[in-house]
Amino acid sequence: MSEVKVERKPEEFTHNEYEAGFVTDIETDTLPPGLDENVIRHISAKKDEPEWLLNWRLEAFRHWQTMTEPHWAHVNYPPIDYQAISYYSVPKSQEDGPKSLDEVDPKLLETYEKLGIPLREQEFLAGVAVDAVFDSVSVATTFKGKLKDAGVIFCPISEAVRDYPELVQQYLGTVVPGGDNYYAALNSAVFTDGSFVFIPKGVRCPMELSTYFRINALNTGQFERTLIIAEEGSYVSYLEGCTAPQRDENQLHAAVVELVALDDAQIKYSTVQNWYPGDENGVGGIYNFVTKRADCRGARSKVSWTQVETGSAITWKYPSCVLRGDDSVGEFYSVALTKMRQEADTGTKMIHIGKNTKSTIVSKGISAGRGQQSYRGLVRIAKSAEGARNFTQCDSLLIGDNCGAHTFPYVEVKNSTATMEHEATTSKIGEDQLFYCQSRGISEEDAVNMIVNGFCKDVFNELPMEFAVEANRLMEVSLEGAVG
Amino acid sequence: MSASLQQVRETAWQAFEQQGLPTTRDEDWKYTDLSRISALLGEQWWQTVEQGELDVTAADIPELDAWRMVFINGHFDSETSELPAGITVTALSALIQDDPDRSVELLEFEPDAPLSSGMTAANSALAIDGACICVSDNTKLDKPLYIQYVSNGGTSHLRTGIQLGKHAEIEVIEHFVGHHAESGLTNHVTAIRLAAGASCTHYRLQLEAAKQCHAGRVEVNQLADSSYTLHAVELGGLLSRSDVINRLNASGASCHLNGLFVLASRQHADHHTRIEHNAPHCKSRENYRAVLDGRSHGVFNGKIVVAEGAVKTDSAQSNANLLLSSNAEIDTKPELEIYNDDVKCAHGVTVGQLDKNQLFYLTTRGISEEEAKQMLTFAFADEILAKMENKAVRRFIEKEAFSKLPNITDLEGMLA
Repeated sequence: MSEVKVERKPEEFTHNEYEAGFVTDIETDTLPPGLDENVIRHISAKKDEPEWLLNWRLEAFRHWQTMTEPHWAHVNYPPIDYQAISYYSVPKSQEDGPKSLDEVDPKLLETYEKLGIPLREQEFLAGVAVDAVFDSVSVATTFKGKLKDAGVIFCPISEAVRDYPELVQQYLGTVVPGGDNYYAALNSAVFTDGSFVFIPKGVRCPMELSTYFRINALNTGQFERTLIIAEEGSYVSYLEGCTAPQRDENQLHAAVVELVALDDAQIKYSTVQNWYPGDENGVGGIYNFVTKRADCRGARSKVSWTQVETGSAITWKYPSCVLRGDDSVGEFYSVALTKMRQEADTGTKMIHIGKNTKSTIVSKGISAGRGQQSYRGLVRIAKSAEGARNFTQCDSLLIGDNCGAHTFPYVEVKNSTATMEHEATTSKIGEDQLFYCQSRGISEEDAVNMIVNGFCKDVFNELPMEFAVEANRLMEVSLEGAVG
Repeated sequence: MSASLQQVRETAWQAFEQQGLPTTRDEDWKYTDLSRISALLGEQWWQTVEQGELDVTAADIPELDAWRMVFINGHFDSETSELPAGITVTALSALIQDDPDRSVELLEFEPDAPLSSGMTAANSALAIDGACICVSDNTKLDKPLYIQYVSNGGTSHLRTGIQLGKHAEIEVIEHFVGHHAESGLTNHVTAIRLAAGASCTHYRLQLEAAKQCHAGRVEVNQLADSSYTLHAVELGGLLSRSDVINRLNASGASCHLNGLFVLASRQHADHHTRIEHNAPHCKSRENYRAVLDGRSHGVFNGKIVVAEGAVKTDSAQSNANLLLSSNAEIDTKPELEIYNDDVKCAHGVTVGQLDKNQLFYLTTRGISEEEAKQMLTFAFADEILAKMENKAVRRFIEKEAFSKLPNITDLEGMLA
């Protein structure tokens, strides 16, 4: 009897249905769509915010109104109606405020189970403190006590505003000012929650800090604001992971992340982003317009960004480092995957100001289906950055003949003692590489996975263990058998 | 019925009045502020000057055996020119009188063309002269054609067209030169069309006077199996911007773009290149280098666009920059835009100073540090010049380039 072999074309492999697609049905306390000063006052009042923060929000909002939406990114999307978005949404059962995990709405916990984030198990097994964000309010925070002993503050930013107002006021908006760019200004005006991390002098944070973001209620844009401060000689590794349920309407996500590293401090910020990318016709999916910036204020400070971006319909994201302190170090490691009709315009900015500052950029882009991907980076070496050093490598892998990969690196050097190198390559998975693997009995699909894995290795190596496993799995699932 | 020359001029003039000069707010002009020209030359900067009298032989490239075409302040000078036989070479001014329809084709203004600006529009509206070169099928010009654009201040708008028939071959040397003290502007556009199998080697030597502004544009359209080689050299001028747009429109076409900037004092030079791979099996190579001294500012933007369907594209781009002074600045942006998976594209950029290991090696061999630095600087730049096949041009540029750098003392010894 002959076996019927079904030939799968490369295109088919990349069309996997989004695995985390479901909507949890929970009552939410949501503001009607629209944005004006009253909405901002409402958000601020809901959160019991001090006067200065409300004023700061309003200032950002007024500035935002004078700005125009930027269109320079290499992406296409229908115009966004900012008045059709609801700017506040809290899971209702949250109003009373659960004191422990047991009080958390069981449906929420169920959602995490479905996503394979066993919150309870994590508490015991992974040694990771999770500040889980469901829509816009943090619902459960674990390991608080352990962190408190070390003197580390890790809490929702709204709590930090209440409990540590001086710290927040001192640092909020100093890295990404309220009027920085269109989306950052919008975020400053309407941010509802996010994480706040403070590592005091000389403390090495005893565990990896992690936040899982989820977008849930229909029609609510999510505006997270994260602020991480590492004082002199401290160290922290922060993980951020995202996944979202399937829906039809495009959702705007405009987060702001601010990192401050003082003398000898180190911050490692890792992201795995797997938001709903839309269906194969480009319907639905998240718009991910994020501003992430680190300020290496102190001498010998170090910030390292690592990201694995596989989700979102449109990604527009440039985690940056301002290397102000002498001998400070900035790193950026990125793997981005676009398939179906996803579009990503991502990269980094390394601004060298201090002496002997160093930066490394490793960006790996994989484009399949009708995906369009751009690397956009800036390396600026100011006149004061004596002996600055940069190394940039951005490689693109193309799978299928309808996708695109683009590179727009800006290099600005004003100091003759600086050394900078940039290299980029674009290629597809070699037929000979595939043939070699297949002739050794490895299936086409496994061979592609192997090659893609090798292509991404430099970046995955930078991820913390917990994430590296997840990232590997994510790539495998996303690319299931994508053959060039 | 195509538009009349009058109409073309008017449309371009309107576009120019509307657009004005690009400023640094425009992405393509981020690092080069052409609006400085009106500050340097006055409101009426675009007005062309009279021909005037000039000793042109003083500006010649020594020992160059070539046909000659000379433009003084933007006007064709038949007395000092020596036009080749066997191919058609006319001055644009003559063509406008004798065959206005053909001149329309050359002066047509395309507002949507990449990197087009108010400067390009001004050129369409105001160019009164330039070289029109036609080489018929299977013809090879016996000697290079040397085109000298010499000026002594003021503004000139020039437009040059080079059209090669099937399997035709030509070597063109465009030389921009002046020794005057006043400022002025050369606004120059070269349009090149290569039929199947044609081959064109193009030297574009910018050695304008110290205060001259230069706006250049080279547009190349290539058909199957044609090949185009550009040697672009930026040595002179105060503010210089050149755009090179190279379209590989049919299978098998190839292009090589080589560029060298040697800048000092307050010079500013900017090259934007755009290579479009519009057909399968095309090949492009691009190699630009800059040596920057004093307070000079170099800008390089190289874009490679690979269209859908342009399979088996083979493209490589490299840009290396050497900063000799702590006040010099380089802004470089190598871009790739790729819409197709069957391609091989790579680019690389470096910015730095002389390699300490190389310096050390030379000094251990008894060479003084000063001399070793000179040798390495020379070697860095000469890698581009070594690609020039015309020995007379190469030697001339080597001398001109390195005499600009004060720390090169034994130039003759190095060239020997």
